[in-house]
Amino acid sequence: MLVFTRRLDEAIIIGDGIEVKVLRIGKDGVRLGVSAAPHVPVHRREVYDQIRAANAAAAAAAAASPQQLVERLRGRLASASKPLLP
Amino acid sequence: MSSNVALDGVVTFAEGLPGFENCRQFVVVGSLEMQPFTVVQGLDSGGPSFVAIDPRRVTGDYATKLERVDLARLGSNGQDPLLWLAIVGAQEDGSATANLRAPLVINPTAMRGIQLIGVDSAYPIDHPLQVG
Repeated sequence: MLVFTRRLDEAIIIGDGIEVKVLRIGKDGVRLGVSAAPHVPVHRREVYDQIRAANAAAAAAAAASPQQLVERLRGRLASASKPLLP
Repeated sequence: MSSNVALDGVVTFAEGLPGFENCRQFVVVGSLEMQPFTVVQGLDSGGPSFVAIDPRRVTGDYATKLERVDLARLGSNGQDPLLWLAIVGAQEDGSATANLRAPLVINPTAMRGIQLIGVDSAYPIDHPLQVG
């Protein structure tokens, strides 16, 4: 891992067009500004990891047979007090 | 068009989905018997399948904004009708949740899709499917 020391308003450049700049240094955290081309996805690490985990779990549940999972879910919803089924 | 296919053809998720970045091609399968669910099925080898649901069926007032860059990723001019699908997760106790935080958004006109990871979405990743 590359390690830099940066001060307020200083930045690093990644590759051809991604800039990460220190906008504020507070007691509770550092505020970063990311400038990148629109097609470059930028996410908070923990959010991305959560979504990744949720995708993996959802795919695992449907792995054997998505149709069977649909049947099971429909069965549960039909017996709910406020059914989602039409 | 076969009657059990929700979208006729292959949808390309150019960036893949988090955790499944290598699977880009999906079909969207639905039928009357499956309502209100839809199956989003990966075509590439080892590709994942997901059960999904229209987020507005889960919470009536669901509203997530698309940025211009998201519309560009979808090849949308902003006028195309878009298909929104929340991935359904089955919990170990048998209950189910819907990922309202990061919905799949598909533009049927261009057959392009993304998993929308909004920067500041207030919706939960595990909204209970069964209310009340």
